[in-house]
Amino acid sequence: MEQAWLIPVFGFGAFAFLALFRKYLPGQGKHLSVLAIIAAFVAVWPVLFDMLDKGVGEHHFPRDWFSAGPLEVGWGIIVDPLTIVMLALITFVSVIVQVYSLGYMRHGNADDPRVGWYFAVHSLFSASMLMLVLADNLLLLYVAWELVGLCSYLLIGFWFERRSAAEAAKKAFVTTRIGDVGLLIGVVLLIVEFGTVDVIEIMNSLGDPGVNQAVVTASAFLVFFGAMGKSAQFPLHVWLPDAMEGPTPVSALIHAATMVTAGVFLVARLFPLFDAVESAQLAIAAIGIVTALMGAAMALVMTDLKRILAYSTMSHLGFMMLALGAGGYTAAIFHLLMHGVAKAMLFLSAGSIMHAAHDETDIRKMGGLRKRMPVTSAAFTVGALALAGIPPLNAFWSKDEILLAVAGGLNPVFVVLFLVAIVLSALYMGRAVLVVFFGKLKPENDGVHESPRIMAWPLALLAVLAVVTGFIALPIGYEGIGTFLVAPGDKPHAFEVVPVWLVASVVLALGGLALAYALYGDEDTSRVDALRERFARAHDVVANRFYMDHAYQWTIDRVVLRVSAFLALFDRKVVNDVGVNGPGLSAVEAGRRLRYHVTGLFADYGLGIVVGVAILGALLWIRSVTG
Amino acid sequence: MTLLHFQLLSAAIFCIGLYGVLARRSAVLVLMSIELMLNAVNLQLVAFGAFSGFGTSTGQVIAVFVITIAAAEVGLALAIVMRLFRSRGGVNMDEIDVMRG
Amino acid sequence: MSFAERHILEWLIYLPMLTAVVLVALPAAWRLAARWVGVGSGALLMIGSAWVFIAFDYSAGADTFQMIKVYTWLESVGIDFRLGVDGIAAPMVLLTGIVALTGSVIAANVDRDAKNYYILLFVLIAGVYGTFVSIDLFFFFFFYELAIVPMFLLIAVWGSSSTFADFARTKEYGALKLVLMIVAASVLVWIGIIAIYVWVDIGTFDILRLRDAVQDGGLSSGAQKTLFPLVMVGFGLLAGLWPFHTWSPDGHVAAPTSVSMLHAGVLMKLGAFGIIRVGMTLLPEGMEAWALVLFILGTVNVVYGAVSAMAQTDLKYVVGYSSVSHMGYVIMGIATLNSIGLTGATLQMFSHGIMTALFFAVVGAIYERAHTRDTLILNGLASKMGWTTAFFVIAGLTSLGLPGLSGFIAEVLVFIGAFHEQPILGALGILGAALTAVYILRLVARVFFGQRDPQWDDLPDLTPREIAAAGALVVPLVLVGIWPAPFLDVIRHGVDALPGVDALVGGLL
Repeated sequence: MEQAWLIPVFGFGAFAFLALFRKYLPGQGKHLSVLAIIAAFVAVWPVLFDMLDKGVGEHHFPRDWFSAGPLEVGWGIIVDPLTIVMLALITFVSVIVQVYSLGYMRHGNADDPRVGWYFAVHSLFSASMLMLVLADNLLLLYVAWELVGLCSYLLIGFWFERRSAAEAAKKAFVTTRIGDVGLLIGVVLLIVEFGTVDVIEIMNSLGDPGVNQAVVTASAFLVFFGAMGKSAQFPLHVWLPDAMEGPTPVSALIHAATMVTAGVFLVARLFPLFDAVESAQLAIAAIGIVTALMGAAMALVMTDLKRILAYSTMSHLGFMMLALGAGGYTAAIFHLLMHGVAKAMLFLSAGSIMHAAHDETDIRKMGGLRKRMPVTSAAFTVGALALAGIPPLNAFWSKDEILLAVAGGLNPVFVVLFLVAIVLSALYMGRAVLVVFFGKLKPENDGVHESPRIMAWPLALLAVLAVVTGFIALPIGYEGIGTFLVAPGDKPHAFEVVPVWLVASVVLALGGLALAYALYGDEDTSRVDALRERFARAHDVVANRFYMDHAYQWTIDRVVLRVSAFLALFDRKVVNDVGVNGPGLSAVEAGRRLRYHVTGLFADYGLGIVVGVAILGALLWIRSVTG
Repeated sequence: MTLLHFQLLSAAIFCIGLYGVLARRSAVLVLMSIELMLNAVNLQLVAFGAFSGFGTSTGQVIAVFVITIAAAEVGLALAIVMRLFRSRGGVNMDEIDVMRG
Repeated sequence: MSFAERHILEWLIYLPMLTAVVLVALPAAWRLAARWVGVGSGALLMIGSAWVFIAFDYSAGADTFQMIKVYTWLESVGIDFRLGVDGIAAPMVLLTGIVALTGSVIAANVDRDAKNYYILLFVLIAGVYGTFVSIDLFFFFFFYELAIVPMFLLIAVWGSSSTFADFARTKEYGALKLVLMIVAASVLVWIGIIAIYVWVDIGTFDILRLRDAVQDGGLSSGAQKTLFPLVMVGFGLLAGLWPFHTWSPDGHVAAPTSVSMLHAGVLMKLGAFGIIRVGMTLLPEGMEAWALVLFILGTVNVVYGAVSAMAQTDLKYVVGYSSVSHMGYVIMGIATLNSIGLTGATLQMFSHGIMTALFFAVVGAIYERAHTRDTLILNGLASKMGWTTAFFVIAGLTSLGLPGLSGFIAEVLVFIGAFHEQPILGALGILGAALTAVYILRLVARVFFGQRDPQWDDLPDLTPREIAAAGALVVPLVLVGIWPAPFLDVIRHGVDALPGVDALVGGLL
């Protein structure tokens, strides 16, 4: 376990090597990056077995990094079940995505001209995320957190010649950065209050006498604000759909394993902090459910396949946050894992379609692809059904855990809203599958064919996993995931089934699918059109993404930029022209006026001398007289 | 002949010189007036030296200095006047105001 | 002390002066020779500076000031040529070395009258070194002034003017404003220095002896509080302290590339360094009394600079205002008066110096090729100018405080120090860092990304020489970002010995 710090090193090494030498390597060194991430994936398992051997729990291995004044900052690691499952998920999805990318970044017989850079950043992305989950202190965590943000920026903006990609990359970085302001303030508050950066130490001394509870409360909210940015929670979710501008495998990575999971992970890692602040927990749950419902609603009306998936991610992240707010640590992380597998598959399937259909993403132009792309459509369908919550696919189990946690820990209002979200999930997933893969094949898609093997195999593997991974919830060899993945300080809880919730969730999910079939089951769109007409206003609001983007744009254009333009003008007119040029110009003006006293005539100077001497003489005389 | 007589004579010459410096237009006359003023001072120095009763000749020595410097100054000034005459065709001081602000 | 340790500091001053003399002797037509002399001397300075930094002994018991060298000069007045470095000056010496080398490499791009350009540049460098290593107030001030004077000619002769829609800034205006404001401020400093000398009244300008005398109560608390504003404004102006900052954007924009690098990179640090060396060391009680004012002004710097930078449409103005913003962190860190904040401030001086030199090098290169710096016109440069983009983005990421690069470590230390004293102001500082991200990324997206206008199709990328210079600047940025311990150890040695610093012994609580 001590050697677990090596896991991210592979990726960092690959990045550094590729960043410097990719021009001189065959294939721009892309295989090196894949090898590095495979090595990291392999290295996870000894860590797991070592922990099973030495005892499941929190293992801490500190290491010195630097110190300033009394502040000691290390780059040590924490190895606990949370870390292990995250490591496994991240490395696994990264391997799949990178292998898939080998095919995706190849068009015809030529690689993308910047393929080396693509893989270099991929490596850095995975490595940063691995460092994030291993970090044992707040600063290192923040370091990794920001590096993850950087990589998303670089990858979303990978095709930077496209104005939209450049803008999307900027939007993602700036939006998450706004959240990071909160996170950094929260982190610094904690560091100053507790005098250490060590996560475990801080979490253990939260309730100590002498600790200012106001600071703890404030930092809980602020840290969560950071998590909201990265995990695309309302109202900081606006970057997520735009992040589609990057290559599709990047979306798979961002949505399944890195970036958006960082926020959920952060809340889980600092779980005791939120546990100690009840109001923060409630806020997390509320934000979570709002995000879940908004995401689901938007997924329902979007016509762009990748956007549907993006909003679906947003909705599921809302589920995870809701679970965390309900105290369902296990449920949240479990769902994170299951969703990660399913969503990676969905995005890679979408990528496979785009690869075949010339980057087409509008689902209205698709249909009947089932016949042309059997592997892709099977994978997509499995993933969609999983996320819709159909047993025995993996996300069904995790969704059930969340339902239990919410029912056990929160107000019934949350339960009802969550059930609504379950129906919506099934509905939009059903819609996507039906519209894209079923029905008649459009003539323009006649030439579409299945993607190359290097892309199809990862899909097939993921599909199998989506079926089987859910069973880790069950008491097989242990008493259910709840005994392995436990929040610090909580009692392990065995797998349990509450029949009423189980039945409710299955019935609702199936109901949602049935509704989808009723609406989108055949070519006839009149039913949907009628519904859209009926609820035109609501549809407009949702289709315009609740006008959130407009609101942000308005704020930036009308407030931020105006303020800065005003300040720049103030700087120029007041500070510079008045404050600096003012004294300068007054000196010049004074000189300009005084110069008329200088005639240049000898007689005037002479008179001046005489008058001066006369005055001096007079003064001397007065002094001598007065004594 | 007392010191006062020398004083009065010197003051009279000085005032004539001062008037000349302030009132004359011709540069040559101004120069001559300055010479008058210098000589008035010289007269003072020599007179004080003679009447001081210390038996020293400091006043006389300084007067010699002044004469020397005055000679140098006149040489320089006349050269300037010559240049002015050549370049401007006259030496009217009222027309020379290159230093005007 | 080894022979080298005894003489290295004085040679860091003699060498640039000698270089200037050698250059004077060169015939003006030997342009190539002038370049080689300049670059060679820069390289020697870099080696010497690195040696000073490495040889500096930061172990617990080591002297505060090391490599001390004293030449008696005016014994009756108490002025000696007295040199030495402490843990705060050592990183500054290294910074000067790095920027002197890269600056002289970039200066090889100067076509007009290269010889005289190099002469003035090296006089400037001599002044900078002298200020950092002098521990005699008189020579401290002497070198401080020496560093300022060549600026005027460098900017007014080799600079560039900019025209905007409704106003213009000529290079003469920039040069005049920069020099007049700094000289006016240095009058305040000089008054402060003379007053300290007279009031402490031990007949010496030696900073160490003055420091000890002040600690023993040689300067009344009232006197310290009266003198500190002079020093604060005087040096603060050179550090870009709000509201005395406007010389900085205008001056830096007008200056030629390598002068901007040196000026924003090193000279602005002289101001902050002066506050520490004179203000904190000799006027500790004054510092304490005025710390809050300094703190607030520093925070204003951060936010004001960042917001102003957002509205700029000229690449160099953006960088110029970002300097104002970043020097705010240095000022905030100094004003915290605790060991973490001051460590952060000193590291930020180093980090910002390198970063801003890189910025100006890249922006200068773009200007030389495109003959414009207008961000509304430039676009899509990335695909043709890969190196340029890479270096600009690295500088930008450092500036927005990305971990893994030096800016983050420095800023986060400043924040922790600041939160310990004034949480609200610290939070505003963090907000400033987010604003930095906004303007830097908008700039990158607009200028480097997106569709390229056909008129920029033929812009060549950086030359190997420029790549080498910029690469040399990237190395310390990454090194400090990943492995800051050696720097922090040296800085700690200096910070711990400063009077009036809260060591935060026993943890932060």
